[in-house]
Amino acid sequence: MKLSLRWLSRHVDLTGLEPKQILADLTMSTAEIEGLERFGDGLECLVVGHVRQCERHPDADKLSVCQVDLGAAGGVVQIVCGAANVAAGQRTVVIRPGDTLPAQGGKGALKIKASKIRGVESNGMICSEAELGLAEAAPGILVLPADAPIGARFVDVLHVQDWVFEIDNKSINHRPDLWGHYGFARELAAIYGRELKPPVVPVPFPVEGRSVAVEIRDRDACPRYCGLVIDGVVAGPSPHELRWQLAAVGQRAINLPVDLTNYVMLDLGQPMHAFDARHVGTGPIRVRRARDGESITTLDGHKRKLTAQDLLICSGDKPEALAGIMGGEGTMVEAATTTLFLESANFHAATIRRTSMRLGLRTDASARFEKAQDPANAELAVHLFVDLLRRYCPSAKPLGPLVDPAGFRYEPKRIVLRRARLHQKLGLALEDPRVLGILESLEFGVTVTAAGFEVAVPSFRATKDIAIEDDLVEEVGRMFRYDNIPEVPLRGVIEPPVRNEELFLQRRLLEVACTDLGCSEVYNYSFVPDAVVDACGAAAHAYVLVENPTAPEQSRIRRHVLPSLLASAVPNLRQHAEVRLCERGKGYHPEMADEHQLPHEVHELAFVWTRRDGAHPFGELREAIAALLARLGYPAELQRVWHGKDQPWVHPHRAVAIDRDGSPVGFVAHLHPAIARTMALPATTAIACLDVRALLANGRKIARYQPVPTFPPLPVDVALLVDEAVSVAQVAEFLRTVGKKLVRDVQLFEVYRGERLPAGKKSLNFTVTLGADDRTLTDQDEGKYLGKVREQAASIGGELRG
Amino acid sequence: MDTTARREHWLRAIAAAADPAALAAIDTRLFGPKGEVPEFVRSVTALPKDERPAFGKAANAVKVEVEQALAARREQFAAAALAQELAGSAFDPTEPGPRAARGTLHPITIVQNELVDLFTSMGFRWEDGPEVESEYFNFDALNIPGDHPARESQDTFWCKAQPGLGRNLLRTHTSPVQVRTMQRLTRQGFHAPLKVVVPGRCFRSETVDKTHEHTFYQMEGLVVDRDVSTANLIHTMKTCLRVILERDVQVRLRPGFFPFVEPGFELDVNCPFCSGRGCSVCKQSGWIEILPCGMVHPNVLRQGGIDPEAYTGFAFGMGLQRVVMLRYGIDDIRQFMGGDLRFLRQFPEVAR
Ligand SMILES: [Zn+2]
Repeated sequence: MKLSLRWLSRHVDLTGLEPKQILADLTMSTAEIEGLERFGDGLECLVVGHVRQCERHPDADKLSVCQVDLGAAGGVVQIVCGAANVAAGQRTVVIRPGDTLPAQGGKGALKIKASKIRGVESNGMICSEAELGLAEAAPGILVLPADAPIGARFVDVLHVQDWVFEIDNKSINHRPDLWGHYGFARELAAIYGRELKPPVVPVPFPVEGRSVAVEIRDRDACPRYCGLVIDGVVAGPSPHELRWQLAAVGQRAINLPVDLTNYVMLDLGQPMHAFDARHVGTGPIRVRRARDGESITTLDGHKRKLTAQDLLICSGDKPEALAGIMGGEGTMVEAATTTLFLESANFHAATIRRTSMRLGLRTDASARFEKAQDPANAELAVHLFVDLLRRYCPSAKPLGPLVDPAGFRYEPKRIVLRRARLHQKLGLALEDPRVLGILESLEFGVTVTAAGFEVAVPSFRATKDIAIEDDLVEEVGRMFRYDNIPEVPLRGVIEPPVRNEELFLQRRLLEVACTDLGCSEVYNYSFVPDAVVDACGAAAHAYVLVENPTAPEQSRIRRHVLPSLLASAVPNLRQHAEVRLCERGKGYHPEMADEHQLPHEVHELAFVWTRRDGAHPFGELREAIAALLARLGYPAELQRVWHGKDQPWVHPHRAVAIDRDGSPVGFVAHLHPAIARTMALPATTAIACLDVRALLANGRKIARYQPVPTFPPLPVDVALLVDEAVSVAQVAEFLRTVGKKLVRDVQLFEVYRGERLPAGKKSLNFTVTLGADDRTLTDQDEGKYLGKVREQAASIGGELRG
Repeated sequence: MDTTARREHWLRAIAAAADPAALAAIDTRLFGPKGEVPEFVRSVTALPKDERPAFGKAANAVKVEVEQALAARREQFAAAALAQELAGSAFDPTEPGPRAARGTLHPITIVQNELVDLFTSMGFRWEDGPEVESEYFNFDALNIPGDHPARESQDTFWCKAQPGLGRNLLRTHTSPVQVRTMQRLTRQGFHAPLKVVVPGRCFRSETVDKTHEHTFYQMEGLVVDRDVSTANLIHTMKTCLRVILERDVQVRLRPGFFPFVEPGFELDVNCPFCSGRGCSVCKQSGWIEILPCGMVHPNVLRQGGIDPEAYTGFAFGMGLQRVVMLRYGIDDIRQFMGGDLRFLRQFPEVAR
């Protein structure tokens, strides 16, 4: 919403205040101001010219050659003008050669040059309102009052320039009173301690005469409806001061009655509707709910299907307007209108909001009604309208009484504001006079009591905004300004906070994965694109689906982290020959629900290690994961072949389970080759996934001290030829068992496969570290050990090489 | 040869040795098996008894002197060799070794971890909450009933109805954890104080561009205790921003409306890009909106099972992307979810 400084100044004297200062103070006490702009900026160069002579252009019917007197601003100059309405004797607005018309709407700035138009010299331009940016379109040049001083600056003659504040509408959603200038003027009066003028001087209406009866069928939906018949209206264009005032805040001018309803709305926040009285006829005006299936064509030409939730304004039974949102087609005041039926009503916020939302029809009126307007304004607005109408159109007069069947009697809501509560919530002991001053400046009625303040809430704050004591704490705080509250540290017992072990474990896992293992942490969306789901062969799984996704192919919420992580490896692999990615994330499984009827949630830490070519990174990732878990105190066994059910991206035969005390907490695997192909990833891609909650289940294992050996170790290299089917773990276990207590450590250093070996065989080359607690081992011990290995190798189908 | 002549002869030979090998040869010749020096010393036996003491003394002196000369010459060679070794090879201080592991945490993770460290050091517990959330926790429990306009402004992603599941959505803020945490902790009666931070992922249906993201990160904070005030909130928030932005920030607290707090605030920090003079980042205002916060609304405390007469509290919801962007000077919000290593590897640090 836009606010005009000139408009605000009509309600409260703002002299001596810079617009920037007002912006800052409103921001700190009332609402967020998004911008400040100068309306009519750049018009300073324009001057008043008197058209002395106006003759037809010798070579063009539609052009006139004018002799324009600019007085002290340039003497008499010749200007060729294309406007039909230009005539001798007029005072006009002239731009001289060398000056620039500011950019307007779609048009850029225009620099004026002396030129010849069809052979006739022209030294400047006589401007229209459109060219000055004061109207969207104009039928001809702007003609000034006859007393405009010749040669004076245009901006000094007529009030056109203004400062315009742009309010962030979100910051006034809770404040129905701030949807018009008057509400902001009230805030400014309170901020600066200045006097707020009354919004309107009441106008007397005839006690008898022509009126239209009003029947409100649903008082909840329409708490108040005021109607007035006004005759003698001339529905021509509004005077320029009104049009420019509306233009400054972005409201298009239409005709006087319509412009005045808009003016009143932008002033008081009260939307109104002016019907051509012929349309309403003798009435009665009936406010009723629509019937299911009923429809109305609104004045934008759209036919709208209605439900029993919607509210209609009818003439008799015939719908004339969608209450509080938009009038019906053809009901609007036109040039030929002489008699108005003026509606100024109050509607239930949620009713208007629901209809407006359902129909996707947001208007200035619905935006205000859905904030819960003050019913008192319905009547005030009529007075303001009539007062302004008579000023601009003296022939206009109300024909009869104001019809207001519901009326509005407001018994102020009373709220007790305890002094202790106020001081406690602000953290500051404000003195009573200060509190009193603030509340009264905002038009609250206040009685000081022993415990604090008894506060009467004015009707314009009572519809939804001020409901409880804490709301009053806010009023005092914001006007005192929160910035003036001195900061105070929290006080309390010093105790270590309860640790959420899962979160800390997850954090450390990531830190170690990134710093020790060289992974880069990636964030992917929770939405997993259909293309990725399909490529991963997971389209048949159940997903949580979003009703209103940003794109139709992104409605699925991921079950697992790996598919999106695989997808993010693809573009990175174009930049880097080798990529190590990890991601922590949540997955959702809708086939299981928790106690709040939410889908089952899994917490995963996923890894993708891939390189364009070379050795398969599976073994490296397996070692890395084992080291990672040991580092965190969660050592695990990676021994067992894993068969993933739910995860088609896992290679069916090349996957190892990560087990802790026999229960699986994740896996490390080769990427399924078929998935690798559809995802355009190399076969040399390894994946891993940890279920962080499962990992936590069996607790942390603290390392146990082993005495450091006194006697030196004896490393022995052992190469065993075995079948491919025999695992490294089996052989290592064999090497350990054979040496009994002497074996300190068994480490594989090479797996050899090659032409020199029989088919289906591999050579596993280990370093076995022997040691004893009571002596230094010798070559004899080594010989004995190797002898036993040779003898018993057959038990694992193996053979000692060398 | 007499003693003097021998001494001269040997010392000259030592001085003339050109390199350590020559010196070693001389050493062998003089002191090795059948060495000239011991031979000479032993030749005392061939002398008459009365001459022996004088000769012995002189011969021994020569022996010691020759030994010292040898040692000194060896030192010289060693020193020269060391000098040559030190000066010898060309050295390029810029020649790299094998590359260290190049892993990196996501910049949001780095900042989030720092914030968690900060708040846990102030006695806050670190908690988590679901990203697929119920309408109740995301809205109703937070004083945002069905027809509240605030619902509309949050551009919610709603979940399709599915058997067994309730009316769910993707949480639009981290605030649902306020009531979740309170309900969990009040099941066996409430023990003040409650201090918790909950960082996490949130969603709002927006078109993604340089400054808008439908997936974003917030860090919720909640404090409930006796006598918690706006003054406490201001102090806690200022402390937090000073630590995380690593500068002595200016902040301002102004009214902001959120249905689950009363009063509600927006907290701004002075713009680091223009020192408050106004620039495009701060929309010419000199301030950057960073932290919506407020005093917990009594209705929210009631939903959490806490008596708003006995306890008050404050809550805040910090936008993490905004903090990260301010800290590292990132100007394109899409990078965070873009997964591009060329972006991610620019932040090699861990939480300090
Ligand atoms: Zn700035």
